[in-house]
Amino acid sequence: MTDVSSEFDHAAAIANCARGEHDALHQLYVHESARLLGVVIRIVKDRGMAEDIVHDACLNIWQRADSFDPDKGSARAWIFSIARHLALNAIRYRDREITFDSSAPTELDHDEQFQHASVVDEAFAWQTGQRMDSCLEALEPERRNCVLHAYVDGLSHAEIAAHTGAPLGTVKAWIKRSLLRLRECMA
Amino acid sequence: MTRPNDHEHEDDHALAGEYVLGTLSLEQRKALEARLPNEPELQKAVMAWEERFLPYTGIADPVTPSDYLWPRIERSLASREALAKRARPTTAVPPRPRRMLHSLPLWRGAAGFGLAAALVMGVMLTNEITEPAISTTPEYMVVLLAPQTQSAGWVVQASSRQEIELIPLGTFEVPEGKALEFWTKADEWQAPVSLGLVEPGQPIRLRLDQLPPLEDNQLFELTLEDETGSATGLPTGPIEFIGRAVEI
Repeated sequence: MTDVSSEFDHAAAIANCARGEHDALHQLYVHESARLLGVVIRIVKDRGMAEDIVHDACLNIWQRADSFDPDKGSARAWIFSIARHLALNAIRYRDREITFDSSAPTELDHDEQFQHASVVDEAFAWQTGQRMDSCLEALEPERRNCVLHAYVDGLSHAEIAAHTGAPLGTVKAWIKRSLLRLRECMA
Repeated sequence: MTRPNDHEHEDDHALAGEYVLGTLSLEQRKALEARLPNEPELQKAVMAWEERFLPYTGIADPVTPSDYLWPRIERSLASREALAKRARPTTAVPPRPRRMLHSLPLWRGAAGFGLAAALVMGVMLTNEITEPAISTTPEYMVVLLAPQTQSAGWVVQASSRQEIELIPLGTFEVPEGKALEFWTKADEWQAPVSLGLVEPGQPIRLRLDQLPPLEDNQLFELTLEDETGSATGLPTGPIEFIGRAVEI
């Protein structure tokens, strides 16, 4: 399994975008567009909308390239955060427009992925060839799954509650405590 | 040694984590994004979480984009650059429209999408990124947003109440056999009036001689219609871009 971060110099590509080289954006696109689209589709669950968001993300990357500061974070995290937050804002906006089914989440089918705590871990190991880091691994499986499903699938608290069958307040507390524990573990 | 605001820092760090996870509501996301430019500690917290979770983007299966996506991005880049060039000779015009744009709630909504990510990296966004270059001082301004993604697709500027210019900010894939039709409707009008078909990525200047003068809050939209335009004289297809006029 290849390490995706070492084979391509994202920071150099962004620097070249900042100099106005279209080819640098194309290189970045060739290298990351499938992964970006995969990440965005998992969040928005709509292929057409996801391609729109990757389009917008590429334009954002191009236009903001000159303000990317490698001292503040990695180029790859920057690129993916742009696409993810475009996607998250789009679905949260969409959710807000759909107000009529606010009581519906309990009717959702329980996601079998939540029933089997190991599935996400296996998916991660399988997709990336990496082991989950020890801080995340130390979380209780059910809570770890909430965190990862929120991150990967863009699920809101209410959606996680619907999927797990746990009360909304419990889900909120799980995620908050999980983040505090991750933070302590990272420190 | 605990300082009085340690709890606040802890809360902010967890809030930043929830922002990156994506569990916050739109309002909470907007509130956090609004704080980011002025709060370096919060930026650092968001960034730490971005780095922390990045490997888990690998859980999502890669999906190869359609063959049309890169050409579309290239066309959007080209049209933005053309727009920037077109405006350059008149940069002596005072930056009045720029300030106006900042005060447009619609525009702010659109620009806020995804901007936070850049701010997190300590980025100060340059103005030309989020604002179209404008060659004359308009009296009215409309930003047309795609309803689904809330991304700005077109700008209408009117230098008088009888003449408007529709300027593309990107391009748009029109399906085979379809066309974009441009419509407007003032608050008191019974129904929208067609302003004709428009070419994606092409600016167009229109005189509104047959219509009442442009007014504040007047609606503009682009809908997807059959390639000869709506047969009924009213919009029938999906709204692709929509916005309201703001007097400057």
